[in-house]
Amino acid sequence: MERKPVSPMSRKALKDTLIFTAPAVIMVLLAMYIPFVMSGYYSLTEWNGISRNPVFIGFENFKTIFSSGSPEFVNALLFTFKYAALFIVFSNVFALALAVALSRKFRLANFLRGMFFLPYIMSMTIVGFIWKFIFTQGFEKLFEITGWSIWNYSWLGDGNLAFWSIVLVGVWQSLGFYIVLYVAGLQAIPTDVLEAASIDGANARQRFFRVILPLLGPSITTCMFMSLTNSLKVFDIILALTKGGPGGATYSATLDIYREAFQNNNYGLGSAKAIVFFVIVLILTQVVLKVFERREVEQ
Amino acid sequence: MKKLLCALLTLAMLLSLAAFPAVAEDAAEINIFISQPEYADAMNTLIAAYKEVAPNVTINYETTQNDYPTLLKARINAGTTPDIFSTTSGKEIADYAEYSYNIANEPAAKAMDPAVATMMTYGDGEIHGFALKGNYFGLIYNKGIFDEVGITVPKTIDEFEAACEKLAAAGYQPVTTGFAEWWVYKHIMQHFVDAASDNAEALVGSFQKGEAHIKDYPVLYDNFFRFIDLCVKYGDNKPLETDLAGEDSAFGTGKAAMMVGQGAWVEADVLAIDDSIQIGFAGYPVTDNPAQSQIIGGSDQALRINKDSKNLQAVLDFVNWWYTSEYGQNWFCDVAGVIPPVTGAKVADMQIIKQGVELSAADGTAPLSICYSSDSYHQAKGEALQAYIGGSLTKDECCAQIEAKCVELDGTK
Repeated sequence: MERKPVSPMSRKALKDTLIFTAPAVIMVLLAMYIPFVMSGYYSLTEWNGISRNPVFIGFENFKTIFSSGSPEFVNALLFTFKYAALFIVFSNVFALALAVALSRKFRLANFLRGMFFLPYIMSMTIVGFIWKFIFTQGFEKLFEITGWSIWNYSWLGDGNLAFWSIVLVGVWQSLGFYIVLYVAGLQAIPTDVLEAASIDGANARQRFFRVILPLLGPSITTCMFMSLTNSLKVFDIILALTKGGPGGATYSATLDIYREAFQNNNYGLGSAKAIVFFVIVLILTQVVLKVFERREVEQ
Repeated sequence: MKKLLCALLTLAMLLSLAAFPAVAEDAAEINIFISQPEYADAMNTLIAAYKEVAPNVTINYETTQNDYPTLLKARINAGTTPDIFSTTSGKEIADYAEYSYNIANEPAAKAMDPAVATMMTYGDGEIHGFALKGNYFGLIYNKGIFDEVGITVPKTIDEFEAACEKLAAAGYQPVTTGFAEWWVYKHIMQHFVDAASDNAEALVGSFQKGEAHIKDYPVLYDNFFRFIDLCVKYGDNKPLETDLAGEDSAFGTGKAAMMVGQGAWVEADVLAIDDSIQIGFAGYPVTDNPAQSQIIGGSDQALRINKDSKNLQAVLDFVNWWYTSEYGQNWFCDVAGVIPPVTGAKVADMQIIKQGVELSAADGTAPLSICYSSDSYHQAKGEALQAYIGGSLTKDECCAQIEAKCVELDGTK
C-alpha cells in the first residue's frame, strides 16, 4: 500500500488540533486520570492519611471488601441502588409531566420554567441546610398549627423516613435540570406530526404515548443516563441533611468511601472501595446505555 | 500590532499567576489553621495585640469547623502544613507526632498547667501540643427550675430517675440531649468509663486490644445504658434530631431542666438566649455511690506546632509570648472567656467555670478518658448508640459493634 504523502496543510491542521485540545487534555489528566492512577496505588496500601509513608499490603483491602469484612460498604451500596432507582423514576416521570405542562403556550410559562430551574442552581449544601430547617423546625411549627400527624414524624431522626427525606430533596433539587432537557426535546417535535395524529383521530393520551414519547427517545436516553450517574454519586445532599445518620442509616457508597478514608483514617481501604465502586458504576452505565441505544435503533 | 497586544496580554496573565511577595528584613509569616471557630474573634484580638509586640511578623489566621480533619490532612499531604494546627489531645498526639515540634524545653511548656500537659505528652517526656483552653465536662442544670420543683442535684442513678419523674410531673422537660451529635455520647460515656475502673487508661487500652467486653462492666452495661434510656424517655421529642443548637435552645428558653453531653463551652450561647438563667454544674450520676459523681476537667483540644515550619523561631516566640506574657495570660480570661491552660492565671467570671473550680477542689475531677481514644472511634461509637436509640440495634448488638469498632479503629495494627 503506498503511503499518502503528508501534506503541509494537514500537518498544520494536526498541530492546531493538538495545541487547542492540549489545555483541556492537561486539565483532565491532572484532575482525573492521574488521581485515578494514584488512587489505584493507594488502594494497595495501608495508610492513615497522615503519616509520610504508606505501607504496601497488596490486595488485602480488596480481600476485606469481598470477604464480608466490610458490611457497611454492602449496606451503603444497597442504599445507593435503592436511592438511584427511586430517583430515576421520580425525577424522570415528574420532569416529563411538568415539561409537557410547561411547553404549552400560556402566559407564565417562561417564568415558571425559570422558577422550577432555580433549585438546581442553588448549592447542594445550602439546599440541604434549608430543608434540614424545614424538616425539623418548619414541620414542628406546622404540626402546632394543624395537628396533622404527618408533620410530627421524625423525618430526619428515623432511619427509614430519613431515606425518603433524602429522595424528596434530591428529586426536588434536580427536577429543573431534567425539565429543561425534556422541554427542549418536546419543542423539537415537529408540530405537523402532532396535527396529523389529531386529524387521524388520536386523543391527547394516545398522542402522548404513541407519538410524543417515541419521538422523545434521545431525550429520554440522555435523561436516564444523567439521572443514573447523578443519583449513584449522591453525596453532598446527604452530608448536609443527615451526615449519614441517624445511626449510620443513610450512608451512600460515596459517603461510606469518604468516611472510610477520612473519618476512620483508613485511606487505603477507602481508595479500594472507590475503585470497586467505579467498576460497578461503569458496568451499570454501559448496560443501561446499550439497552437504551438498542431501543432507539429499533424504532 | 494585534500579535504584539496578544503577546503582552498573555505575558501579563502569566505574570499575575506568579506571586512576588516583598520580603523585608527579619519579617516572618505565621500560618495558623485551627478548628475552634467559636474563638475566632478572640484569636483576632490576640493577633492584633501581638502585632504591636512584633510588628514584622504577619499572622495569617484561618479557622473552620466542618471537615477540619480532612482539610488538615489535605494540607499536610500537599506539603503546606500550617505552622499551627489543631488535633485532639491524648491519642492523636501520636498520630501527628512526626509533624509536630517538641516544646518541652520552651517557656510555654513550663507555664502550662500540669493537668493539661499530661495529655500532650509523647514518647519520653516530649510535649507535642499546647492548649487554647482548659475545659470542664459535666451535667448542666437550671438552678431556678430545680429550686422551684424542690429537687437537689442527683448524684446516683436512682436519684436521677426520681428527679426526672418529679420534673416531668411539674410540666418541665427533664433533659435535653443533643443525641443527633456523635460527640455527645463520648462526653457522657467517659464519666461511666472513669467510674468503671480505677485505671481508665488501662481499661480503654484493654478494649482497644479486644480483651474487654462491655458486658463485663456493670457500670457500662447496666448504668450507662440505663442513663441513656432515661435521657431518651425524659428527653426531647425527637432525640435523634436534636443537635447542639437544639439543646442550647431547649435549655436556654427554660423548657428543659438539665443538659447532658456538654460542658463549659455552652455557657456563652445559653446566656445569649437568656442572661438571667442560673446555671448549675455537677458530675453525672454514674453509680449508687455519690462520691463517684465527679466532673471532668482538662483540655481535649491540642494546638500543634509544625516542626518543619519555615519560620519556626517566630512561631515559638509567638506561642511563648501567648503563654507567658501578662497580656497572653489575661487573654484567656478577659478576651476568650475560657479556663486558662496556664498555671496562676486568673479564672473567668463565668458560672460553669467558677463551679468547676469549686467542685474540682471539693470532690476532685475524674480523668479525661475521651482522649485515650481517637475521634474516629468516638464517631463510630456515636453512630452505634444512635442506632440503639433509633431501635435498629439491640443493646447487645450495639455493645458488640462498639467493641468491634474499638479494635478496628484504635487497635494497634
